[in-house]
Amino acid sequence: MRQPLVVALSIVVLTLGMAHAQSGRMVIAQGVDATTMDPNDHRETPTGNVTANIFDPLMKRAVDGGLIPWLVTEATPIDDLTWELQLREGVTFHNGEAFDAEVAKFNFDRLTDSDAPLRTSDLWTSVSEVTVEGPYTIRVHTARPLATFLTQLTQIFMVPQTYIEENGAAHFASNPVGSGPYRFVRWARDQEVVLAAFDDYWFGAPSIQEIVFRPIPESSSRVAELVTGGVDIITNLSPEAVPLVSGSGQAVASTVPSIRNIFIVLNVTGEGPLDDPRVRLALNHAVDKDTIIRTILGGDGVANGCPLNPYMYGYVEALCDPFPFDPERARELLAEAGYADGFTFTMGSPDGRYLNDRQVAEAVVGQLAAVGVRAELRVQEWSSYVGQVLERSIPTDAWLIGWGNSQFDADNTMFSLLYGGTIEGGAPRSVFTYMYDATLDALLAEARATVDQARRAELYADGLALVRDAAPWIFLYQQVDIYGVSTRIDWDPRPDELIWAFDAALR
Amino acid sequence: MLAYVVRRLLLVAVVVWGAATLAFVLLQLSGDPLNLLLPLDATPEVRERYRASLGLDRPVLVQYGVYLLNAVQGDFGTSLRSAAPALGLVLERMPASLLLAGAGLLFAVVIGVPAGVVAALHRGKPLELGVMSLALLGQSIPVFWLGLMLILVFGLQLRVLPISGYGSAQHLILPMIALGTFTAAAIARLTRNGVLQELRSDYVRTARSKGAHGRRVVYAHALRNAAIPVVTVIGLQLGTLLSGAVITETIFAWPGVGRFVLIAVSQRDFPVVQASVVVFAALLAFVNLIVDISYLFLDPRVRYA
Repeated sequence: MRQPLVVALSIVVLTLGMAHAQSGRMVIAQGVDATTMDPNDHRETPTGNVTANIFDPLMKRAVDGGLIPWLVTEATPIDDLTWELQLREGVTFHNGEAFDAEVAKFNFDRLTDSDAPLRTSDLWTSVSEVTVEGPYTIRVHTARPLATFLTQLTQIFMVPQTYIEENGAAHFASNPVGSGPYRFVRWARDQEVVLAAFDDYWFGAPSIQEIVFRPIPESSSRVAELVTGGVDIITNLSPEAVPLVSGSGQAVASTVPSIRNIFIVLNVTGEGPLDDPRVRLALNHAVDKDTIIRTILGGDGVANGCPLNPYMYGYVEALCDPFPFDPERARELLAEAGYADGFTFTMGSPDGRYLNDRQVAEAVVGQLAAVGVRAELRVQEWSSYVGQVLERSIPTDAWLIGWGNSQFDADNTMFSLLYGGTIEGGAPRSVFTYMYDATLDALLAEARATVDQARRAELYADGLALVRDAAPWIFLYQQVDIYGVSTRIDWDPRPDELIWAFDAALR
Repeated sequence: MLAYVVRRLLLVAVVVWGAATLAFVLLQLSGDPLNLLLPLDATPEVRERYRASLGLDRPVLVQYGVYLLNAVQGDFGTSLRSAAPALGLVLERMPASLLLAGAGLLFAVVIGVPAGVVAALHRGKPLELGVMSLALLGQSIPVFWLGLMLILVFGLQLRVLPISGYGSAQHLILPMIALGTFTAAAIARLTRNGVLQELRSDYVRTARSKGAHGRRVVYAHALRNAAIPVVTVIGLQLGTLLSGAVITETIFAWPGVGRFVLIAVSQRDFPVVQASVVVFAALLAFVNLIVDISYLFLDPRVRYA
């Protein structure tokens, strides 16, 4: 464990940046505007798409879900409670300020200041102290082992210390200065954010000179702008609009499986039919994921049978195959459990939070009816729905929800959603879980306190096997994100939903 | 007159206070803003830290007192979503909203009043039928459908006007038509009815019998008297157009206050909702006052003592 953990450098990626020829302007249309320009004070994709172009993280997410050393060049665990980070030299912010160990420490301190919490502060509650060990070396000390430390480094973006100390956080939140490939030019709220290429970027000058983010809430207006050449990339293209975009000759639909899984949580309350694992397995066999994906999602979705997906650390393919669609088997299992004539339960779904969520829920209800299980669907507006979920006051026996794992690590799904709080003196139960399994809890708790990655993988594999047998959810599918991309742009979407303009070029 | 205006202004203050209080109470009832503000898996400690930093852990009455005290000084606090002063965020979007509402209303008056007069003057003729059928259509078409059709025809097919956005006169045209059509139709119907009623009245007959010119009778006498209900509706519509342009703003990506407030409500951004309610209440109360005062000039019989 004391050996340095040298994270693989991806030299291919590094040299790619140098080959870009500079030109032009690219307009990106999202559904909503950014809410802030402070990269560490939000947890929203549309805002992140803007700030990720202005700021650099300590580690960068690779398109396969792996990690690329970014402003941290090397991360070494000194012991279970200490990480030593080597920082990249020669990085400057857009205002000329240098990036060094003091600035990195300032950034961690800013996130752990309990008087002024930021929206990503909860990632760093276990950090007790950050010490400067050299001009480009810091040590991060944690109160307990933090197994997801490395992957969390993708979510901390370096901000300039002097600029913020001189101008204040509020000024910074609307006039950002970063070290990333693009510098901030202007932000007219609800109209546009304009960024310009930062030619002195340490990774190489970006190819496209100017990036404009425009909020266009209505999806058909986004499509109309795309096919008339008004914008170059649009997010959340609906499956119904794909033929129009492809047929225009102006743009193509571009898809990527996302980090987000969609599933239905079954409230296992200790009584009723849903308390019987055979019934829960029966429901999983009764749902035809492939038909739902083909008919409601335009074919864009990947059926799955576990809480994880292939991007996540801890994923095991053999334990994540979709439960086969087998109504016969479902009926057998129901009969074994004593529900040969089926039963009735209630199911909740949001409307419009995830791609065609209500329609998916309706299809599930229809498919369950085919094996004699009557689900009463109650659709709600998202803000009250999510409130009920978080307060454990959801009035239905089952509820559809999606989970986008921001850390690409099993912990952020398995612990966050399935830890039942059965361990005495341990963390309290997750608000999302209705399953209480002491064995599973012990595995999940050990995994998040284990820095040895191979051991963690074993623990998650054991945990997945337990979850698969208990089937606490109806597993549905991994969402696929659909973008509309102008034919004049060369760009591929990413699984973490980010639009990193440095990757794009004009054809 | 002056005493009346002062009294009305005091009433405006009461209305604004009432609206501010109502907004506060309804928001308190709507649920915990932290549910939507923080990531779903935020730990309890982080939630409590946030609650304290936003002052949401204080007793409700204390929060209400602080809110009113600060609101009087124009401080509605910091937006929970945007980390910027709430009142500034609302006011920042007012020019776009006023522009759109003003243009929509102008469009409605320019189309609606002449159409109503023409229909009244051609009572029972095909022209009246045509104008009134169009007015019925204008009131029945849903705004979102009209907006999308305008985009389809002028943005996508003919490509003569921008599809979405803000900044130039061209950008204003499609949203203005989408927003103003309903009101134009309403004004046309109201004007026709008003003018018809006035044309039947005694003074018009007298004026005509005195040999006054037909056009003068219509425009100087009948239309002026028919104007009172029309002006009332225009005043009411201005409020609707300002706050209710949500669909138009959404379709054309117009950076107005309507959609902004809608998002703030759905995200429980208390300071922004409270600031906007107060701004709108004050604005509408003023518009009503102006409408009432305009009666003085439209109808000499009206007196405010």
